[in-house]
Amino acid sequence: MKIVWFLLGRLLQLVPVLIGITAVAFLLLRVMPGDPATLMLGARGNAEDIAALTRQLGLDRPLWQQYVGFLGDIVTGSFGLSIASRRAVGLEMVERLWPTLALVGLSTVIAVVLTVPLALLSAVRRGGWADQAIKLVFIAAMSMPAFWLGLLLVLLLSIAVPIFPVSGYGDGLLGHLHHLALPALVIGLGTAALTIRALRSSIIGVLGADYIDTARAKGLPERSVLWRHVLRNSLMSTISILAVHTSWVIGGTVVVETVFGIPGLGHLLVASISARDYPVVQGLTVMFALLVVAINLLADLAYVAVDPRLTLAG
Amino acid sequence: MSRRATVLLSAVLAIALGLAGAQTAAAATLRLGVTADALSTDPIASSDNPSIWTQLLLFDQLVRPSRDGTRLEPGIAESWKVSADGKEYEFKLRANAKFSNGDPVTAQDVEFSLRRAAGEKSQWGRFFRPITEYRVVDARTIVMRLDTPFTPMLNNLAMFSASILPAKLVESQGAAFFDKPVGSGPFVLTQWARGQKQTMAKNPHYWEAGKPKLDGVTIEILPEDNSRVLKLKAGELDAIIGIPFNQVDGLKSDPNVAVGVVNAFRTDLVQLNTTKKPFDDVRVRQALNYAVDKAPLVQNILRGNGSIANSPLPLMAHHNADLKPYPYDLDKAKALLAAAGLPNGFKTSMLVSGGDATARQVAAVLQASLKRVGVEVELQNIESSSQFGTTKAGNFEMSLSRASSDTIDPDQLIGFLVVNPERANAYHTQWKDERINELYALERRTLEGEERGKMFKEIEQRAHEGAPFIFLYRQSLTFAHRKNVSGFTLMRTSNYDLRDADIR
Repeated sequence: MKIVWFLLGRLLQLVPVLIGITAVAFLLLRVMPGDPATLMLGARGNAEDIAALTRQLGLDRPLWQQYVGFLGDIVTGSFGLSIASRRAVGLEMVERLWPTLALVGLSTVIAVVLTVPLALLSAVRRGGWADQAIKLVFIAAMSMPAFWLGLLLVLLLSIAVPIFPVSGYGDGLLGHLHHLALPALVIGLGTAALTIRALRSSIIGVLGADYIDTARAKGLPERSVLWRHVLRNSLMSTISILAVHTSWVIGGTVVVETVFGIPGLGHLLVASISARDYPVVQGLTVMFALLVVAINLLADLAYVAVDPRLTLAG
Repeated sequence: MSRRATVLLSAVLAIALGLAGAQTAAAATLRLGVTADALSTDPIASSDNPSIWTQLLLFDQLVRPSRDGTRLEPGIAESWKVSADGKEYEFKLRANAKFSNGDPVTAQDVEFSLRRAAGEKSQWGRFFRPITEYRVVDARTIVMRLDTPFTPMLNNLAMFSASILPAKLVESQGAAFFDKPVGSGPFVLTQWARGQKQTMAKNPHYWEAGKPKLDGVTIEILPEDNSRVLKLKAGELDAIIGIPFNQVDGLKSDPNVAVGVVNAFRTDLVQLNTTKKPFDDVRVRQALNYAVDKAPLVQNILRGNGSIANSPLPLMAHHNADLKPYPYDLDKAKALLAAAGLPNGFKTSMLVSGGDATARQVAAVLQASLKRVGVEVELQNIESSSQFGTTKAGNFEMSLSRASSDTIDPDQLIGFLVVNPERANAYHTQWKDERINELYALERRTLEGEERGKMFKEIEQRAHEGAPFIFLYRQSLTFAHRKNVSGFTLMRTSNYDLRDADIR
């Protein structure tokens, strides 16, 4: 029950945020030169054709009416009709949501799976060759732009040693996972580069704490000390970093989705901005905001799971 | 160690996934990589190339361009007659023309589709409104009447927007029809994962004997140029379009890949705003044409895949072959500038589509060329979707752009590029030549033939001399396919023709 109230509270907090975001997105789009009717007709329409199409698309109405109409479309969940495809924006977004969610989810899993053991290793063998090697590899991964790292991985793991497909999204669950592995690795490596550094330093801090000496003194095996006492107490800051970074990754999927030809939200966003497909861009803005909020929610739940002193009421 | 761990991890992942994506391509299915997905299959609500190209695979039109783009040939109509006064068109449909559900294509379907294309909801109404009367003679014969002769009509009927749809299905299903469209074209859309791929199967009822040769085609959407090229090399695709020019030679050296080049209906040019000084002076505009050396553009940037342009028009029907491109002549350029009172050149600016790598390269070369005659050009990068709106509003001095045609008749492009006002005030240059306007009106009522061709040639010559643009080059379209693919080619209107394509 508690969790329901918690979620409801969070959703309520979202309302003013969304109004702000939608207003900015709406106005920015209208300020950009280039309008959808002119872009659609281009060389083939005269002024009369363009005016007729503008009227048909409802873009001749005053701006405030269009904005209110857009808010109404959000409430009904349809998000209006796409100018380019004439389909409900809500439907278009749901189709594209899954590839993006799968990509972000898989990359986060990869990041976590890489982070925990490598950070532990770096911290415990601080200054050793393993620590140095990990530092070197991940700083390199972090410094490379995603498209560049992506192409390098493709050349290595799709062309030289053909394990993964070059790009695309595949069919069926296994096909999707197979196609998503490389792009998720690109994002996951970037995330892990950050979280390994963060977790390593908090582990080093915790390792010096008195309660760790106590744990060791009472004869706990080292493995148990590390996993139960050290790691658990070190995770909080890393979760925050992971949450912030994942929110950022959602916006950043645009590049990786383009490089790897994944039909996700980022891909849709780029196409829609080029076509000045106002309803889709507006809908996506709301969708991205919702995703960021959802990730922060997950992070809150993770804090509670890790730290028994915290409750949802906070 | 961690790098090894990474590689190992990937390998383990791949094996765990059972190499699920391993291609088990069915017999004779072509996997084609393209840059962008279609938005709609409704011919009257589309204007983007991907939608148009998909529709041309699904639907037929009464007539269609020939493979070489020089004339119209029968489509779903096996023959047609145009009356001597140019006001009456009679079409006879093929006896074996069927939609993919087996229903015959009838004259009623033609009337329905064209009335729809001329209707309120159509983006293309103006193209079909000249038809004022339809008369269905019998199930296979239809007569259309025009109030005044309008020669481009036949070409308009070859456009995607004149696709023939099954009247009953569209009427009963409404917008839902276009989610699972039924047409009489060579392929049927069986599945569409938007943004990812379109899956098509052969239309078993297609009228053209023995075609298509393929059992099906999957059109995969891959916006990134490199990934299309790599996927073709890796054998994950059978054919691709949109190859960056700097990768053409690399692909040619791959023993499994064949590269093809087609002359497209496209010209690249620089729009000159003739309402702004000094572009109002024809001598200045000609000087700029003399000052640009186009050969290196074609050689180095297009890597030889193109030719120097002599006018704003692509090489299409009625092209004026006597017209020579402006030669590279710095002395003449300087003399013309001096005659115009600008012996030291002038300062100006040029809009460039910043997202287009080729355009950025060309702009840098133009900037350097023009500097040699004292013309200092400031390059202004602009997002491609903003460029058209910006030039339309007249907020520019020079703008690096291009024009392309989706019909084989020069009428469409001429109306756009050099007639003022018509549709675009001579492509936003505001250049006006009364004789061209006159010839344009005349050409549209003159029956197709040599006399009409002469009018086009004169228009092209006047455009060449008036020089509202710097004429650059006509770039070719490139495509590539694996060597086990045959018969894959692009039409000069840029769409892919898959009727003869086959894969072994």
